[in-house]
Amino acid sequence: MSNTLNPRETADPRQKRPAAAAGPARTEEELTRAIAAETGAADFTYKSPRRVEGSIPEQDLHSFAAAMYSRVGFEHLSAISCVDWINDGEFELVYHFWSYRDNCLVSAHTRIDRAAATMATITDLWQPASFFERDIHEMFGVVFAGNTDLEKYILTDWDGPPPMRKDFVTRKFAHEHFHYKDYEPDWDELVQGGYHSNRGEGGTNG
Amino acid sequence: MEKRLTQRSAWDKVLTNLQKRSLWMLHYCTGCGAVELPPTMTARFDMERFGIMPMVTPRQADILLITGYLSVKTLKRVVLIYEQMQAPKYVVGFGSCTINGGMYWNSYATMKSLDQYLPVEMYLAGCMPRPEAIISGFTGLIERIDRGEANTWEDYYKNYEFYRKNQEHLFGSIETNVDVVGDRQYYKFTEVQQ
Repeated sequence: MSNTLNPRETADPRQKRPAAAAGPARTEEELTRAIAAETGAADFTYKSPRRVEGSIPEQDLHSFAAAMYSRVGFEHLSAISCVDWINDGEFELVYHFWSYRDNCLVSAHTRIDRAAATMATITDLWQPASFFERDIHEMFGVVFAGNTDLEKYILTDWDGPPPMRKDFVTRKFAHEHFHYKDYEPDWDELVQGGYHSNRGEGGTNG
Repeated sequence: MEKRLTQRSAWDKVLTNLQKRSLWMLHYCTGCGAVELPPTMTARFDMERFGIMPMVTPRQADILLITGYLSVKTLKRVVLIYEQMQAPKYVVGFGSCTINGGMYWNSYATMKSLDQYLPVEMYLAGCMPRPEAIISGFTGLIERIDRGEANTWEDYYKNYEFYRKNQEHLFGSIETNVDVVGDRQYYKFTEVQQ
């Protein structure tokens, strides 16, 4: 990542907020036009009131996020979330940006390869993004290149695979790892046709 | 066990009679079941009429009440707390989460059965038990203490290797600063041969 993209370093230090963060609130249509003009991302559309959504190629996300901060005025990174599309072989990372000027949430969807899950970090733009990236690294195994702190976050004693991946079968793990007491009473067969015993291993994620 | 029941001295009977009416409870509120404790303690159900009252430190507590699920991380803290408590001490598993995992039966992060890691004196079944059930369970515990039967805590000293093996299976070795093997010799318990 080039440091010139960092708005915190290039901006006037006396001016904490980007200039675009001030001004009258924009409608969703005005926002999509502003996003297209300032970042070049043309497919952002009105989703629902105060919600704008679109997709960004993996390699463009960092420059898009920098432009969203400095030129469109979205100061706040609300969250980064991750979805495992196992049948497509992809992870979907969703970056949620919030604007205090417009009271509007912009969600940028990025698809990355599932097998070699690597993504550029945005901690140089928003330092608190480190927490989201640590969390996603721990739960999905996505590596954020450039993030120097990808230590264990919540699962400190964890030594298994990333548990939120769809191919991680929590029921199987719980059976093997914990002292699991199976519960298959006699009335189960009579009342509901052996619901517990017919479920099989896995099936759903759990 | 049989010997203890039949050959209880008069002093033992006096002691248990005093113990059963002054139980101090350390409640480790990990799960949602903790919301049933305020009505149990306060005016409506008034647990203190049985001599049970909340205590803030493990060293002065008699009952360790585990209200709900324990993740692997919190179980480690519970083991540290339990070993600090003075004997006799009674672990009470509260709610179905401590019995078989409850609604977290297939979770990757929570332990399923508390009696594999600590000697559980009594389980309060339910998701979650109402204050009546808690009071009923505790009066049962009081009766067990009165009869001299509430001795499950001795199992931690006798079967320490079993409990420690299960604990280390989940979170590796831990430093607890309590010499359980030394305490076993102090209480003159003999190790159970596996």
